[in-house]
Amino acid sequence: MLDMRQVTKVYRTELVETHALRALDLHVREGEFVAVTGPSGSGKTTFLNIAGLLETFTGGEYKLDGEDVRGMSDDARSKLRNRKIGFIFQSFNLIPDLNLFDNVDVPLRYRGMSATERRQRIEEALARVGLGSRMKHYPAELSGGQQQRAAIARALAGSPRLLLADEPTGNLDSQMARGVLELLEEINGQGTTIVMVTHDPELAARAQRNVHIVDGMATDLSVEPSLRRAFAGANAGT
Amino acid sequence: MELRPILTTLRRHKTASALIVLEIALSCAIICNAMFLISQRIDHLNRVSGLAENELVRVQLTGIGKDDNDVALTATDLAALRALPGVRDATVTNEVPFVNSSWNSSVNMSKDQQQPTLSSTVYMADDHFINSFGLKLVAGRNFGADELIDWKTFNAPNAKVAIPSVIITRSMADKLFPGQQAVGKSFYSWGDDPMRVVGVVEHLVRPSEQGGDVGHEYSMILPLRTPYTVGGNYVIRVTDPARRDEVLKAAIDTLKRNGPSRIILADNTMTFEALRAKYTQQDRSMVWLLVAVCIALLVVTALGIVGLASFWVQQRTKQIGVRRALGATRGQILRYFQTENFLLATLGIVLGMMLAYGINQLLMGKYELPRLPALYLPVGAVALWLLGQLSVLGPARRAAAVPPAVATRSV
Amino acid sequence: MFAYYFDLALRSFRRNKALTALMVLAIALGIGASMTTLTVFHVLSGDPIPNKSRQLFVAQLDPASKDGYIPGEEPADQMTRFDAETLLRQHRGVHQAMMTGGSAGIEPQQAGMDPFYADARYTSADFFQMFDAPFQYGNGWSGREDDKHERVAVIASDLNKKLFGGGNSVGKALRVNGHDFRIVGVLAPWRPTPKFYDMYNDRFGELEQVFVPFSTSRDLEMDRSGSMDCWDDHRDNDDPEGEAGVNAPCTWIQYWVELDTPAQVSAYHQYLVNYSDQQRASGRFERPTNVRLRDVMTWLDVNKIVPGDVRLQLWLAFGFLAVCLLNTVGLLLAKFLRRSSEIGVRRALGASRRAIFAQCLVEAGTIGLVGGVLGLGLALLGLWAVRQQPNSYNALAHLDVTMLLTTFLIAIVASLLAGLLPAWRACQVAPAIQLKSQ
Repeated sequence: MLDMRQVTKVYRTELVETHALRALDLHVREGEFVAVTGPSGSGKTTFLNIAGLLETFTGGEYKLDGEDVRGMSDDARSKLRNRKIGFIFQSFNLIPDLNLFDNVDVPLRYRGMSATERRQRIEEALARVGLGSRMKHYPAELSGGQQQRAAIARALAGSPRLLLADEPTGNLDSQMARGVLELLEEINGQGTTIVMVTHDPELAARAQRNVHIVDGMATDLSVEPSLRRAFAGANAGT
Repeated sequence: MELRPILTTLRRHKTASALIVLEIALSCAIICNAMFLISQRIDHLNRVSGLAENELVRVQLTGIGKDDNDVALTATDLAALRALPGVRDATVTNEVPFVNSSWNSSVNMSKDQQQPTLSSTVYMADDHFINSFGLKLVAGRNFGADELIDWKTFNAPNAKVAIPSVIITRSMADKLFPGQQAVGKSFYSWGDDPMRVVGVVEHLVRPSEQGGDVGHEYSMILPLRTPYTVGGNYVIRVTDPARRDEVLKAAIDTLKRNGPSRIILADNTMTFEALRAKYTQQDRSMVWLLVAVCIALLVVTALGIVGLASFWVQQRTKQIGVRRALGATRGQILRYFQTENFLLATLGIVLGMMLAYGINQLLMGKYELPRLPALYLPVGAVALWLLGQLSVLGPARRAAAVPPAVATRSV
Repeated sequence: MFAYYFDLALRSFRRNKALTALMVLAIALGIGASMTTLTVFHVLSGDPIPNKSRQLFVAQLDPASKDGYIPGEEPADQMTRFDAETLLRQHRGVHQAMMTGGSAGIEPQQAGMDPFYADARYTSADFFQMFDAPFQYGNGWSGREDDKHERVAVIASDLNKKLFGGGNSVGKALRVNGHDFRIVGVLAPWRPTPKFYDMYNDRFGELEQVFVPFSTSRDLEMDRSGSMDCWDDHRDNDDPEGEAGVNAPCTWIQYWVELDTPAQVSAYHQYLVNYSDQQRASGRFERPTNVRLRDVMTWLDVNKIVPGDVRLQLWLAFGFLAVCLLNTVGLLLAKFLRRSSEIGVRRALGASRRAIFAQCLVEAGTIGLVGGVLGLGLALLGLWAVRQQPNSYNALAHLDVTMLLTTFLIAIVASLLAGLLPAWRACQVAPAIQLKSQ
């Protein structure tokens, strides 16, 4: 599903050259639930941006669902992103002027679907996350957990191949966080690939596989279960 | 106040800064020119006519068809008008100021001159003309009754009657005989014989806009006694301005009774004050329009500055918080934004001045305007500086009110 | 997608009422001012006789003496009576007419009506056919009446209403300047805008009320109105008509000719050149041959038909509109960039740069539309104010369909232009993912 081979990202300003990613190798198979961990400044944000086609990369190869994305135009990336990827942000990022129905509608509009198909998908997606009765409500009227679930509905409505989540439970209390995580596991159980970036080791533990990014390079912790446990222990005190 | 950090910040927000600068520049350019136009029009409106305007009324009438008795009728008309109560004097003439039609003639210094020295308007007058209009003689004398020539005599075919004397305005005298005494000198205009200047009046404006600004007082008065059928203008001077309407009505009645088969042109019969007001209506409208546009421009520019400045403050809320956390006072934040605005306004005004001159050049070519005097530039500059500072005051105060705690908050 | 963007734009307006109102007001003011002045300009610069303006020509000769001659100068803008009558007699055009303005003292036959004064036109017969004068009753006279100096008259509908209640007055008598004229025609309401055939008689004023043959007007020594330019002393000869005489060295007559094909136009131009040469050979013309043959619109242009003040006001209004638009650019920029986070989210969800650009342009265009509606109202108000001015042309300041459409066109195009920069800046916003670190 997600194949990154020797991906590098260099930010150049007039004075400084920053290597955010150095020869990153990362492979996610279809249907996997992968957690990406790492300290701040490690490059996991950059990784997510590149994975989500939000940014270009300097060197290496990236294939999304079999398509090579290197050299794609901004338009092509937007289209691919729209069709294949669903985003879930830490701060939900629902558009405050629009009610839930219209929020979930946004990515579908850029797809060019007919009104009937859109309505059907929106209603299904909201029902799937348990917000079917709150379609006409505005984000401000909902709790944090409900907002995040609405955002998940938005991410799902277009039947994406890959869900990218950035600290999905970062702004939620533990009860709401549990609910969201259960939802994610359910979605993964139904076949959607999920890549989740997180600080939280408990969250990371719920995923099938962990990848740890440090100084712009990835280490696949699933291969080394001992390392994974060591990491979990090391981070438990932070 | 350190200017360099302000300039650096502005350079990073090039678009918004450029917009404010351009808006101020364009407003400045238009306002400078508009103010100039306003002063031009006001000068035009305040032109000295030379007449005792608030003491004069004019009646215009016309006969129906030919009147073989017009000369005699005119004489009895004048006698009757002069005898009316409240009337100081009355005269008949071919044209009056503040209307759009005029008689004009070219003026030459020598008989065979190919190009005329100037073109002047021709007032045909009897010996009551100067007193009726309230003109002021500054040299020489009025016509004597024996100098007057009847228009009919003069205009008869093959008449070859010479006009011996003429009275001119000081403006015309200065042009024809610069630095010299005009009285006693001669020039050529109507006919082949020279006319001798016997008097100079201080001011007498021309009808219509002939002659432009330079020649608006090139007027000569000829001793030609016209019947009412030439122009049909009776001009009456009253003793007391308060009695003008009364005298006007009495005059109309008298003229109607004196010669019943004549038509009083009501649209042209009024006091001179009203006549001048009607004639200058266009200029007054233009002045009001220009004033309105200037005010509207200032309002729109102010709103634009308020809008953009508010946006900037909102964008930089975090930075402001950080500055406050680092020890800046509210006053310093306020002054920061005011200085920023001042710099932008200065740039805008400098550009605006250049643009103002450019616009003035264009107008000069198309509308015969003189060059914009330098005086208007500082006035426009100050106006826009003030405007900018007033507009930015609101947003700047809001910026100063940002609490330092903002610095530690994230999102 | 357009409907979607339109809906988003409306929602955005509801959210930022103050800012939106500011932008709409600025555009409305600019549009109102521009459309008011543009309409006045449009009215004044219009074609007074669109069907025929390319076939009607004014002929100009240069008959004056050498005195005051500047080489390269324009020829006289009117004709001498001698030249006009000669050209008329030789009738080389399809139709031709000589004419001038005048005044008529009317003595109504009805009891209780005072005599009054009406504008008149003294013209030869072809006037009515050449200028497509519309008749309500009867018609104009023919060359025969011109030659015989008959006392016939055509009157305008206003005069007909005043004297005869608007009925068919053909055949009735009209007492003008103490003489009886026979009415042969009554014109339907007609107001050529401007009165192109005579530049010296209230260009935008109402139509003359009485038309009589030129020849008759000279017989009866009727007063003329207009401009008379004499370069010599007419008192040197003993013509009792003085300056209005046939041989007077004065220009005061307008001469119009109808020519249908370009071949006819160049032929007539040559004819005028030949005529001038002949006159010079005979000693009557002193200046070098200098003729003009101009069609209606060229003639109006040369005479600067649109008053300088109106032009000035037009430029002023457009300058004001420019400032309003700059204002709008700034406010739109502020509005769009304030929503950077929303734009970032939309981009992340798959909106291309083009989609964001389009969304912003639609918003700008919608503001333009609303501003245009409000501006239209302001323009109507402005035109009402213009009509209250006592100028003769101000009464004509009305908004027609063309101007109405132009209002919206300008409003929308202007706002789209204003929106280009802000929309471009908005679509440069990076797709947002890490908003927490801003």
